[in-house]
Parts: sequence; structure tokens; C-alpha cells
Amino acid sequence: MAREATLRKYVEPVEAARVPAFGGGEPPAPPRARAPVVSNGRLAILMFIAAEVMFFAGLIGAFIVFKLAAPLWPPPFQPRLPTGVTGVNTVILLSSGVAMLLAMGAAKRREKPRLVRYLSIAALLGAVFLLVQGYEWLRLIGYGLKLSSGVYGATFYTLIGCHGAHVLGAVSWLGVVLARAAGGRYDRGSEAVELCGIYWIFVVALWPALYALVYL
Amino acid sequence: MKTRIFLQASLVGIAAAYSGAADACSVCISSGVGERLTDAFNWSVFFLMAMPYTILFSILGFFVYAYRRAAKKARAKERRTEELPVLNPASDLS
Repeated sequence: MAREATLRKYVEPVEAARVPAFGGGEPPAPPRARAPVVSNGRLAILMFIAAEVMFFAGLIGAFIVFKLAAPLWPPPFQPRLPTGVTGVNTVILLSSGVAMLLAMGAAKRREKPRLVRYLSIAALLGAVFLLVQGYEWLRLIGYGLKLSSGVYGATFYTLIGCHGAHVLGAVSWLGVVLARAAGGRYDRGSEAVELCGIYWIFVVALWPALYALVYL
Repeated sequence: MKTRIFLQASLVGIAAAYSGAADACSVCISSGVGERLTDAFNWSVFFLMAMPYTILFSILGFFVYAYRRAAKKARAKERRTEELPVLNPASDLS
């Protein structure tokens, strides 16, 4: 015991001392690790959204060809799309985007109750949007507008269906983030809310363009 | 020199006179300007051509914004560090 104490007294300072550089004096301080300006997660979601934009651009390009080339659009003897209900649905989706922006702000300030509240509102409004879309689709199928009923039905269901699938994916992701936020996983800050929020805002921002193009 | 300018001007003139040939579409085999299908394809091609540049410049714009914001933050942090009072153990602890 005494031997160990003696050893520590004489050996530790030697071990702890820094090795002097060749020019004498203190060695240069090690380089400080800097956080990247754009994190890997943000970069990944940006690339993903860029790919998604090109995917939708392809679909919109095809829709433009069919719509502008047709002498009458919507074609005769085809049901008209419900502009009013979908307009209200657009407002609902835009409101969910606002709720998500507020949730991102709350996540930055690390206010858990507000974060959970705004995420819940965003998820609920997204789910309402999907339900209304599903109800509209059922009615349109009832009126005879199907995927196989010509170019009009095919382009409508492909374009709007792809967006609906994206909203469904975003709602699922939001559900996971909400459950983790409620469980206190993001109490010490996390990028997960921001990444989910960026994707959500992309899905929300895309919808008014699709609504104007397809429904109006 | 004058011959060269004359030839170049002639080429431009011929190209302008037969500009309809440049509108030929490999998909619809049509060169009629103002035709519905041709216009539809032209608008679609224009839209699809514009999208990659829009995405590219949006991402570049975001990077420039992010780097400028980070540099501004770093400068503000440096300024705060410089303004901190220097603790002199010899005078303050005596």
C-alpha cells in the first residue's frame, strides 16, 4: 500500500507530463474537432428530397403532356373532381405544416410538452387529410372514375396516389418520432424531429402545386 | 474578313428561316409550331429541364446560407471570448 502511494507520487507526474516538442517548450495543442456546418442527416434528407422532387417532376411532366394535348380536360363523360372538399383538405394539410414548424421550434428549445403537443396536432391533421382523400377516392370510384378508365383516371390516381403514399409514409414516420418524443428520447436534443419535419414540410408544400395542377 | 461575316450572317439567316425544323419532336414526329400536342410536349420538356437546375441551385443556396450563418456564429463566439475579463490569480485570490 505504502509502496503504491510512493510510486504514484513519483511516477504519475512523469506520466502526466506532456512530451516537449523538438523546438522546446509546450507541444502544439491538438486540433479542435469542429461540428460540420451541414450535418450528415440533413445532407441525406436533402438528397432524398431532391430525388423525390425529380420523381414527382416526371409524373407532373407526363400529366402536363396529357392535359395540354387533350382538346377537352377533364374529358367528356368523366366525373368532375371535388374541388371544394379538397380545398378544405388542403387547408388542413397546410395547418399540419404550421404545427410541424412549431414542433421543430419547440424541439430546438427543448420544450417537451409543446413538442409532443404540436407533433400530435401535425400527425392528427395528416391522418384527417388521408381519411378525407380516401373517402373522396371511394366516391370517385363509385362515380366510375377508375385507374382503367382512360388517361384522366390513370394520371389522377397515379399522381395523387403517389402523394397520398408519401403522406402515409410521413405520418408513420411522424408517429414513431411522436412516440419517442413522448417517451423522453429527445429530451437532451436530437436531430430526428428536424429531419422528420423537413420531410413533412416537403410533402405539405408539394400538395398545393398538385391541387392547382390536377383539381383546378 | 467581310466574306467570313457574310457567311456567318447567311448561316444565321438560313437557320432563322427554317427554324421550324428545330421544333421537330422525336416522339410525336411533328414540327408544327402551335399544334396542341407539340406545345404540350414543349411545355413538359421545358418543365423537366428546369427542375434539375432548380434543385441544384436551391441546394447550393442552402449551403451558402448555412456556411454564412456558421461563420457569423463563430465570429460572434470569438468576440464574446475576447470580451471576457482575464482572471489574474495572483491579484484576485490575494
